[in-house]
Amino acid sequence: MSLWVDKHRPKDLLKLDFHKDQAVRLKSLVQQSDFPHLLVYGPSGAGKKTRIMCLLRELYGSGVERLRQETMHFTTPSNKKIEIMTVSSNYHIEVNPTDVGIYDRVVIMDLVKNVAQTHQIDSSGQREFKVVILNEVDDLTKDAQHALRRTMEKYVATCRLILIANSVSRVIPAIRSRCLTIRVPAPTESEVCSVLQTVCKKEGLNLPSELALKISKCSGRNVRRALLMCEACKVQQYPFKADQKVPEPDWQLFIKETASMILSEQSPKKLGEVRQKLYELIIHGVPPDIIFAGLLKELVINCDMAMKCQVASHAAMFEHRMRLGNKAIFHLEAFVAKFMAIYKKFIEDSVGDAF
Amino acid sequence: MGTQKGRKWFKPMFEFEEPDPPKKKKGNSINKPRETNNYDKEIPLKQNINVTLHNVNNKNWMKNFDPVNIEDLAVHNKKVQEVEEWLKCSCLSGSNSNILLLSGPVGCGKTATIYTLAVSHDIKVTEWITPVDIEIPSEYGDYHYKESQTKKFLDFIINAANFTSLLDNNSKKLVLVEDFPNTFLRTPADFTDILKQYKQRAKSPLVFICSETHSDNKNTALHLFTPTIKDQFNINHIMFNSISVTGLKSALKRTVDIISKKYTTMYNIPSPSVVDSVVHSSGGDVRSAILNLHFASLKGSTINLETSIIQEKEVKSKGVKRKKNSSSKFMSLGKDQTVSILHGVGRVLNPKVVPSDNGCTNLTHSPKDVIEQFISHPSSFIAFLEENYLAHFSCPNDVDKAASALSDGDFMLGEWREKTCQEYGLYTAVAGLMLANKAPVSAWNPVRGPKNMRVQYPTLQEMPQLDKDYLYKGKVLVTDYLTYCKIIGNIAEDVLLDISD
Repeated sequence: MSLWVDKHRPKDLLKLDFHKDQAVRLKSLVQQSDFPHLLVYGPSGAGKKTRIMCLLRELYGSGVERLRQETMHFTTPSNKKIEIMTVSSNYHIEVNPTDVGIYDRVVIMDLVKNVAQTHQIDSSGQREFKVVILNEVDDLTKDAQHALRRTMEKYVATCRLILIANSVSRVIPAIRSRCLTIRVPAPTESEVCSVLQTVCKKEGLNLPSELALKISKCSGRNVRRALLMCEACKVQQYPFKADQKVPEPDWQLFIKETASMILSEQSPKKLGEVRQKLYELIIHGVPPDIIFAGLLKELVINCDMAMKCQVASHAAMFEHRMRLGNKAIFHLEAFVAKFMAIYKKFIEDSVGDAF
Repeated sequence: MGTQKGRKWFKPMFEFEEPDPPKKKKGNSINKPRETNNYDKEIPLKQNINVTLHNVNNKNWMKNFDPVNIEDLAVHNKKVQEVEEWLKCSCLSGSNSNILLLSGPVGCGKTATIYTLAVSHDIKVTEWITPVDIEIPSEYGDYHYKESQTKKFLDFIINAANFTSLLDNNSKKLVLVEDFPNTFLRTPADFTDILKQYKQRAKSPLVFICSETHSDNKNTALHLFTPTIKDQFNINHIMFNSISVTGLKSALKRTVDIISKKYTTMYNIPSPSVVDSVVHSSGGDVRSAILNLHFASLKGSTINLETSIIQEKEVKSKGVKRKKNSSSKFMSLGKDQTVSILHGVGRVLNPKVVPSDNGCTNLTHSPKDVIEQFISHPSSFIAFLEENYLAHFSCPNDVDKAASALSDGDFMLGEWREKTCQEYGLYTAVAGLMLANKAPVSAWNPVRGPKNMRVQYPTLQEMPQLDKDYLYKGKVLVTDYLTYCKIIGNIAEDVLLDISD
């Protein structure tokens, strides 16, 4: 019993639901005998991976769908053994180099080298190169990105890289310039709605358009999340009702709770409690930038316009530092402390004005 | 010492034009052979002053100051008594194979205590020294190992414990092991074996001495003695602390007495201020204290008075002022002060302010001094600070400043390619925290270690609905799949249960 998201993933470039013009262009790109390295970027749940799998199918035929999972082992220069999960077919291999943290450089260099050194045996009209898909390129260490640059040039004859990222701003310019950069923007709300409707039709369900819109709003224009929400809705209550409650992700509720804690009291003790909550979020793997965005969104609801600007600019500053620093919790906490100071002053001032 | 005699047949290969030893000052009545050795000569030569030195002691000069009586030990009385009691009950009462473990920081008098006590109770100490066990490589370049270290060690300690030397008629014996064969560090199981054998076969007590340093907690011999082993073999463990200031002072006082009685030719009699400086710069290590005293009071730097004053200033120099007129400490001698991480955290989070001469206030431990100790591992120190600073604050505004400082610090530490950035980052965080707290909370706050922030992404087993052959990203699993898979999975199971019911 697989999930709708996985079951109804389009397999053909021409059957994609949105950004169709781009899909046509991609098709004509691979119909040329060769194609450059690609850097596909866009927000989460916009269909980057789906597009890439369609592209590979266009290139190699249905052979790319015969996937197998494999754990690969590497040895770092310091003799530490690391292992990483890969998914591959005869024609491509996919990996999340960030899974191994600071050793991502080793994985990238060795993996690409391995792949590039084995030529395609079956040359029956197939392409001469293999494809390596690297996820989350924007989270790679700088070291790994520089290694990637060199590797890209060296093995261009036998392998093509497809890099996936959320944002190109953290990909070094050297890589950006070596790739054909393709942006996959998030679908509009109505596009999400139509995806939901199509999937429900395939499942033989009737989805009221109000609920579809509600889900697409809740999902933040993330098709994957929208489909999961829709399926969860269906499991919770079917037939659908237009005013049905759409379940929110756990961590979002958790962030809301944290934000209301911050608003309830501004003291070092409270900050200590907030920190425990933040720890919990981070340890469970919620990306710190999402925590930042969630907190800010919840916190500014209670602010007046002048304060909103102030808070947002501080949030931007600390978030930027978080990207450059090592420990996310420092910056999250600094932001919360800053907000507490501002908010407390605001409350005190308004109480003072009342008298 | 057969020096006089030896000189007749031993012609040194390095000949110095030895100026006739001029008659020394009065009181130089100790009749010892005078000779200038290479090292001593160099100093006056460099200074271009024609003075000869009169260092006469070929023996290990530190032996001169070894404690003779139990009262001479700098170790705390109670500890000495503890060890003495053990010795009495295991050596003097019955000949059983008791085992004692002494541990403590370096230079706290562990070995000295044992030797002194042994002498006073007329016990013969036999000490194991790990021999070199690799021969010179043969011409083919391969090494021949002699018999195994383990076997040698066992034979030694048992023989030493059971057989009396022909040369003395002492029946009371003690085996001392301070130099652990490396093989035990690799294979602790062997060690247990040896202890077993010893317990069965030996008839004398065995003493192990382990120095402990807080820096390396691996690889020390102390780790051989696990609680189970201690239990199994009934090992007595006595822990020594570093020597107290009073202990050091009395030990040095004794040294000074010895100097002024016997060795005035070799040393200047150290002034009380020199002794004080030695005490402060040795950090509870009596061995290094005596070394330092030796260096500080050697003759030779007093060739003429003027330079000696300067020299003395150089040696002693602007040490750290403790109280108003506390003594200085050597800059060029002794150990560097080491501050444990917990200590450092305390210094940063409870900054103490003292008024200085010119009307402004100073911190007792300036940020500069604090970061000096932690510059080699800035990020772990900052992590400790971050974990602990909140409890010391009472005002949100101060917390804001402190948290911003920590954020700045972490941001700078992120630039690991630039060495100075590390220092600045640490400084920013430390100074920021020290200055931010205007209304500190005074309460007892135990220092906690930083939290392990290793992210645990959910596994595929938790979500059976997922496609096995698809590569999911950890982040996406958390942000999107987890919640909904739970909902979908739970209800689906409920439905299945309903059906089966």
